[in-house]
Amino acid sequence: MNEYLPWIILFLPLLAAVMIWLFCRKDPAGSAAISVTAVVAAFFCSVMLLAAGAMHYMEGDEFEMMARRSDSLFEWFGPDMMARHFVWFGSQFTWLQAGTLYVPFGVSVDPMSMFMLLVVTGVGSLIHIFSMAYMKGDRGYSRFFTCMSIFAFSMLGVVLSNNFLQLFIFWELVGVSSYMLIGFWYERPAAADAAKKAFLTNRVGDFGFLAGIIMIWAATGTLEFGPLQDVFVKHPSLVGTIGGLLIFCGAVGKSAQFPLHVWLPDAMEGPTPVSALIHAATMVAAGVYMICRVFFVFDPTAQTVIAWIGGTTALLAALIAIQQNDIKRILAYSTLSQLGYMVMAAGLSAQPAAMFHLATHACFKALLFLGAGSVIHAMSNEQDIWKMGRLRDKMPATTRTFLIGTLALCGLPPLSGFYSKDAILAAAAGKNQVLFCIGVAVAALTTFYMFRLVLVVFWGGAKSDLTAHAHESPRTMTWPLIGLAIASVVAGVLGIQQVLEPQFSMAPADSSFAPWWLCLMLRDGGLAMSQLKDAVLEPLLVAPVPMLCGLGAIALGFLAAWGLYRNAASDPLPENLPTMCRVLRNKFYFDELYAWLIACTLDALAQVAGFADRYILARGIRFISGGTDLFGRGLRLVQTGNLQAYALLTAAGIALALWLMLRS
Amino acid sequence: MSPLTLIFGLPLLAALLTALIPRNFRFVIRCVALLATFSSMVIALVMFCKCHPLDPGGMIRLKFLFEETHQWSPAIGFGYHVGVDGINLGLIVMGAIVAFAATFVSRRIETREKEFYILLMLMTGGILGAFASLDLVCFYGFHELALVPTFIMIGVWGRGDNKNFAAYQITLYLSAGALLVLLGLLALYLQLPPGNRSFDIVAITAYFQSHPIGAEAERWIFPLLLFGFGILVSLWPFHTWAPPGYGAAPTATAMLHAGVIKKFGLYGLIRIALPLMPAAAARWVPILAFLCLGNIIYCGLVAMRQRNLNLLIGNSSVAHMGFAFLGLASLSTIGMSGTVLIMVAHGFLAALTFALSGYLDEELKTLEIGEMGGLLRHLPFIGTAMIMAMLAGCGLPGFANFPGEMMVLFGSWHRYPVVVVIALWGALVIGGVYMLRAIRNIWHGAKPWPGISDPASAWRKLPFALLLACLIALGCYPRLLTDCIRSSVEPIARMASSGSVLKDNPANTIPHPAENPQLAAPKPGEGGSAIRNPQSPANPAATIPDAANVSPQPVPPMPTR
Repeated sequence: MNEYLPWIILFLPLLAAVMIWLFCRKDPAGSAAISVTAVVAAFFCSVMLLAAGAMHYMEGDEFEMMARRSDSLFEWFGPDMMARHFVWFGSQFTWLQAGTLYVPFGVSVDPMSMFMLLVVTGVGSLIHIFSMAYMKGDRGYSRFFTCMSIFAFSMLGVVLSNNFLQLFIFWELVGVSSYMLIGFWYERPAAADAAKKAFLTNRVGDFGFLAGIIMIWAATGTLEFGPLQDVFVKHPSLVGTIGGLLIFCGAVGKSAQFPLHVWLPDAMEGPTPVSALIHAATMVAAGVYMICRVFFVFDPTAQTVIAWIGGTTALLAALIAIQQNDIKRILAYSTLSQLGYMVMAAGLSAQPAAMFHLATHACFKALLFLGAGSVIHAMSNEQDIWKMGRLRDKMPATTRTFLIGTLALCGLPPLSGFYSKDAILAAAAGKNQVLFCIGVAVAALTTFYMFRLVLVVFWGGAKSDLTAHAHESPRTMTWPLIGLAIASVVAGVLGIQQVLEPQFSMAPADSSFAPWWLCLMLRDGGLAMSQLKDAVLEPLLVAPVPMLCGLGAIALGFLAAWGLYRNAASDPLPENLPTMCRVLRNKFYFDELYAWLIACTLDALAQVAGFADRYILARGIRFISGGTDLFGRGLRLVQTGNLQAYALLTAAGIALALWLMLRS
Repeated sequence: MSPLTLIFGLPLLAALLTALIPRNFRFVIRCVALLATFSSMVIALVMFCKCHPLDPGGMIRLKFLFEETHQWSPAIGFGYHVGVDGINLGLIVMGAIVAFAATFVSRRIETREKEFYILLMLMTGGILGAFASLDLVCFYGFHELALVPTFIMIGVWGRGDNKNFAAYQITLYLSAGALLVLLGLLALYLQLPPGNRSFDIVAITAYFQSHPIGAEAERWIFPLLLFGFGILVSLWPFHTWAPPGYGAAPTATAMLHAGVIKKFGLYGLIRIALPLMPAAAARWVPILAFLCLGNIIYCGLVAMRQRNLNLLIGNSSVAHMGFAFLGLASLSTIGMSGTVLIMVAHGFLAALTFALSGYLDEELKTLEIGEMGGLLRHLPFIGTAMIMAMLAGCGLPGFANFPGEMMVLFGSWHRYPVVVVIALWGALVIGGVYMLRAIRNIWHGAKPWPGISDPASAWRKLPFALLLACLIALGCYPRLLTDCIRSSVEPIARMASSGSVLKDNPANTIPHPAENPQLAAPKPGEGGSAIRNPQSPANPAATIPDAANVSPQPVPPMPTR
């Protein structure tokens, strides 16, 4: 039974999408019910899968495990090749085969994908439930849920894939689901343009990605991750820096890293649940997941480049966020910045830290976006923070959960963000001091702009009349917020990083880690308590300096925001620092730069090609036909109808023939 | 009687019957045509289900199914020989389905229906016969039968101001190409020894395998065939006939021509030119690879500039043919299988897009993109179908073009890595740009359009849904076709690459360990460890054992304890 669970998890949302599109197009309640049921069922199946993996050792292996308890290492997985790659369940069938190209279609569940499954289905379920109320009354309600289900299917496919080409297939499908969802309100020009921009920017990244995949296949002959890892362990620089960077291109596009970051803020044109699910929690995380999945492909130079791009993105986005006035744009740039953190961690070979931050970020960023959606819903679709204010009286539940999310994002202990950010800062401190300083600076900036947001929206005085009509959202919207808030609080001490560690250190198969909740399941209370204590105090014990720097950054940012924005009726910074604020508000003019570049290159080339096609090649053909016509007219001159002319020509012909014959 | 004879014979019979029906029995005429193409389609699908992949490995002779042979003139070796193998199976099925869809959407022809349907049936019978034929005379003759009606159809029922010019241009240009092909085929026939001459493709292939053609003869026959067939498939720079021709053609003609008839050239190259003249092929394929870049990049850029929807689709169709040529130029099993898959996929895609744009033309009376906008709200079904078709055109997974393009790119990497990278840019980015710009300008946005609507009944939506379903089915499970394709392409790829330097092209014919039991299971300790040595890619002696150990085994599900 358990072997089929991954397939069920994968195909349930697709089935839901097909059913909604065929049968429930005119039935909003039905389509919502089918879609939500599918995702929630997938979540429960994922939990069952996790339990199955844990149960695997509870039945029958208890005594061996107890015997090895002394060195706190448990044999977590089965023997042989699957064990070497920590795969729990895996199965596949042949999708395409010709010559030496063998492309399977399969699922593979190992700790990393198990954990992503939980994140995607868990956060996804809560967001689906939230959108039932948020999108009520919209004309395209059924279409929305169809697209959300297709997105869920594609994202689960990315997570479960066991080979490069299948990953690419689902990668593209995620891109197209995002296109459909960003452009959901396609009648709005801004939304349609944003969808096109997102898809095309992703495509530029996909170009590099596919080129890298072909290079890897050509060098190794296989596309599957397990065998590839074996190969790369033996020959680390098989495809060199170029191959690694090409593969990273895909992540640059999908996770909106510099220089392909321009699509993410515009993607806020989509409905808020879409921004929460796709552009905060899952799709943009797919890039980070991919880099961690194929970490063995990157050689040290490539890893340095990756780390620097991550750090640059983090800093760039944090700076731009300081001067944005649209609540969703601020959160979008915040997402960009946190993604930069994750990519930086992956580049510093701290992939478990990156995945850890991915999980915690999914929880609190989804929470923040849904909270923003709640606010927008209450403010009759107004998104400018300078028209809000004093909402904490009107919307207590939203305020509290939003505050928890903000504190988690800033990294206040003991919330989850503290642990994950600290893991990244610790990794940076150990490997690259400059990136560590950038990380700390970004932490300060994060606190600054997030508290700017919170103070202006929820505190201070009311800045417009719209706040008078604001009211708390219905329960289907607040309960997911509470759920995500709980997740944001506890996710830090679940031991996620330690569970993933063995997979990346390419340690032997019998080294693994059992977190405290597993110890509880194994009825080992003492070990559970000590693991829990270790988990809670880990940053203090392992790397105190980064932790203190992080806390200092939080304090600095909070004080600056408190001082400037506590009672501000409008933004005080632009008057005092006009040029800098203008540059930041215009996002460093990247959009204008890219528009100019495209016009200079692609459109110019297209004009040349069009000109050549119409005037050179086509005229060339007409020239030939004109030539034939001219030749015919020339020959026609011979047909005069005049007998003497014919006699003359006959005589000339005979003379010519005689001359030719007598010559030889 | 082979089902193949029925498949192309029924439309020809229908053409004859229609000639006898009085002009004003419009419903009867239409029914006869529909019935004929429907029967062809059903027979083709049944035949498809009955075809099993021919066993691979060590094939000396080409093997065909459903063969039927009649000797008509033993003196010159001309007879009737039809048969199907992996390569033309997909083409025939695709052709039958497209013909049915084309007949279906022709309900809008209001004048001279009788002549129109006669010509349509002639086209259908002709091209299906050309794909099924294994005799060179029938092969060429059926193609000409399919080609000539385009002239009349574009001239009489075409649209646009310069339809006459377009009609003349397409017919004369393609006839010139066909003339070059005829010269090449006759020259090939004359290379056979005088007592033993035959037009039969199987016999010719068997003869030339054992007695290769002389180098001087190859030198001039191959370019004739290459460029002759190339013109028929709009190889750059001989492509300018395609966009205006499709722009001016009535919907059914555009569907059949772009979808089916255009593939004749590629089929001819795979069947005749490449396997029989490997040395010349080795010399000419680098040029072909360069020219196909012209198709992909140049025509993609031209498509970006188009303001008329049909011209855009026409240029995009020419760009796709670039991929097909790249697959041929790779001379490998993977690449050539990809080409055949692209041929089938593009047939469905081109037919679908032209059908949809024909519907738009009917409703809006214009095909200028500047005058459209905001149509998705008013035409949800057509809009969704066209958005899916356009995304399929830029290589979205889930549609049949994706596996085809992937196979072509993977198969061509070893020979032309630079070309593959540039082609990738053309496919992903340039293709994405013009398709998405088109979607943005036609379907997105808000604009009032009084009086237009989707096709009223499910019956009228059938042709679009049918073509879309075929695209998605092949895209989700390409093995429906590729298993048959690769087993037939393998001997051809082997013959074609036998003249070239990259003799042991790793992308060629080394079978996958899953098919070869004794190479299948490595011992647990060494699983996945043996790998083709990256420093020395070309080592003729050690190819099969090395490369065969590369691929992994199916991962078994974990045993529950």
